[in-house]
Amino acid sequence: MMDPEERQLFTRSLRHADESHAGMALDLALDELGWHKALTVDPHTAVSVLFELQGTVNTSSSALGAVLGSALGVDPSPAVGVILPAAGEWRPPGEIDQAGLSVRGLGPVALVESPTTVIVTGSAGGLRAVEASTAALTLRPVHGLDPDGGLVEVTGRGVAFGAEREVPAEQWAQAIALGRLALGHELVGAARAMLELARGHALERIQFGQPIGAFQAVRHRLADTLVAIEAADASLNAAWEERTSQSAAMAKALAGRGARVAARHCQQVLAGIGFTTEHPLHRYVRRVVVLDQLLGAGRTLTRELGAELIATRLLPDLLPL
Amino acid sequence: MELDEFRTSLDAWLDQNTTTLAPDPGATGTLDGQMAQLSRVKRLTYEDGWMRWGWPRRVGGLGGSALLRAYLGEALTSRDLVEPGIYSMTEVLAPTMIDYAPPELAAQMVPRLLSGDETWCQGFSEPGTGSNLAALSCRARLDGDVWRVTGQKVWTSLAQYADRCVLLTRTGTPDSAHRGITALFVDMDSPGITVRPIETMHGLPEFSEVFFDEVAVPVDRTLGAEGQGWSVAMDLLPFERSTALWHRAAYLHRQFQRLLDAVPPDALDPDDVGEVHQLLYALRARSRATQYRLDAGERLGPETSIDKVLVATAEQALFDLVAEGLGPDLTVADDPASDLWRREFLYSRAATIYGGTAEIQRNIIARRLLDLGSDR
Repeated sequence: MMDPEERQLFTRSLRHADESHAGMALDLALDELGWHKALTVDPHTAVSVLFELQGTVNTSSSALGAVLGSALGVDPSPAVGVILPAAGEWRPPGEIDQAGLSVRGLGPVALVESPTTVIVTGSAGGLRAVEASTAALTLRPVHGLDPDGGLVEVTGRGVAFGAEREVPAEQWAQAIALGRLALGHELVGAARAMLELARGHALERIQFGQPIGAFQAVRHRLADTLVAIEAADASLNAAWEERTSQSAAMAKALAGRGARVAARHCQQVLAGIGFTTEHPLHRYVRRVVVLDQLLGAGRTLTRELGAELIATRLLPDLLPL
Repeated sequence: MELDEFRTSLDAWLDQNTTTLAPDPGATGTLDGQMAQLSRVKRLTYEDGWMRWGWPRRVGGLGGSALLRAYLGEALTSRDLVEPGIYSMTEVLAPTMIDYAPPELAAQMVPRLLSGDETWCQGFSEPGTGSNLAALSCRARLDGDVWRVTGQKVWTSLAQYADRCVLLTRTGTPDSAHRGITALFVDMDSPGITVRPIETMHGLPEFSEVFFDEVAVPVDRTLGAEGQGWSVAMDLLPFERSTALWHRAAYLHRQFQRLLDAVPPDALDPDDVGEVHQLLYALRARSRATQYRLDAGERLGPETSIDKVLVATAEQALFDLVAEGLGPDLTVADDPASDLWRREFLYSRAATIYGGTAEIQRNIIARRLLDLGSDR
């Protein structure tokens, strides 16, 4: 684990990298800073610090694939890209049948620079990780809701694949859980950035002879935003201690909810200017909807959790003091 | 004593003493019964030392972290041995005495509270002073070596059972606001005090009106200095949102499990069940971090308003779910179990009102945490 001083230095360097780069340039900067090494040594710090910053700065990288890769035992290297599940899903992005390997998933924009991809496949015979040449896949840059999101859609049918190994179901679940924690931190970072934008506006914007932040209706929206963010943040920290799939899913759903609350209230407080592309708010509003979708939408995870509790009639053990 | 050791040995002790500690049948249906049960559990846990851990030695404690108190309350609540609201009064009032009472008074009185020999109450709100606490008008006038107190308090929890009261009084000019407030430690059997319990919506007369008519309070019963009452109150309130809140979170978890046990198939919407579980998880995660900050010696402040908003939100969401899943029982059944659900459901409606309303908590968050300046 990093001590507080190392953590501070690490945070400062990452912030600088995040503010200066995006996409592949950011991947390289992160590698130079030793982020990939930190991911194996102290995943909690590496993931929470980077992803919260990434959310705050509104940048993008290939780090989510690296996070999944770290749980799957894939050596972090810019030469190898890990394919993410398709939007809204958390099942493996690959499938092997008579026709060969078919793929439907997502990846970072920098994937095009990685000669090799690792694709986890789910079939009746269990999960496997296979390697395929990136050139054999179709990469479509995602415009969608958030054109700056740094994603490509990855598809392929009858793709030839090489080195192949089994992936225990538990390992895939761990990879998803880790990815969800990363996304949770990114959502929290984006929500904090929105709150800061709205807070600044509430203090500066004068109406009826006073800053609009003097009005209780505005203040309470921002207070509710902070409550939702801190609830998500505390849950993420707890989930890091528990390291169960269920706690990671809850923390991600709570972070998604916190970001929705933040987007709704901050957009309202920023009003007209926040609806324009002259103001940065729209980037965050777009980004959090996309992040909430990745590796299982918050609402889906919530419903799944509820269904499980109803079926078993048993609450999991409490987070111990 | 470390938390892990405390947890293991307390759990074992509770297992061994299940029958001795369990409430008498029907006792928890009335406030009298709940209070008797509370005194009994406090006495037994005090005698065997559990209740003394986490409190300083100079007030009869055995030392150790406040985490031990948090765990004790959680364990007692999860086993349905005490009702968390009345149990946690100790968590709010004892720290105030420890921090502000003359040392010999604290040493004399706090053990009586911990051991269940005495019940104390907290005289803050007044008919004209709800959210705007600093405008209180219950007057204390210095007369030789006594304060003479005249005025009225309301929503004073457990006043009808209380032996003592931590009372906020106006000692400055009527418009001296938070500067002219002094806290007193008042014997409730003093001549001139009248207590009138208030019938509540949920059926238990949990709080009272308290009238003071020229009540004499010795000057050495002043908590802190004259005019320091606002600090006493501001330091007390975060305790309502720390250890006490941890106990409430454990209680809510217990009620959630009871609901899952009792609910008919298909009566609950999975979206709502999942959301309530997440809200309770977030509450527990947040409150847990607060317990550790307290343990590390941090002074708690306005950030505990976030904990309070989370508990009130989670509590109402949980009991809305009770109404959804147990609708027929809640509305028309008249068996004891349904009575209990009704009582708890109705009580949850107050979660956004007592201990500082939801609006006041948001005002604190906006002003103190978001630094939005003063409001209109």
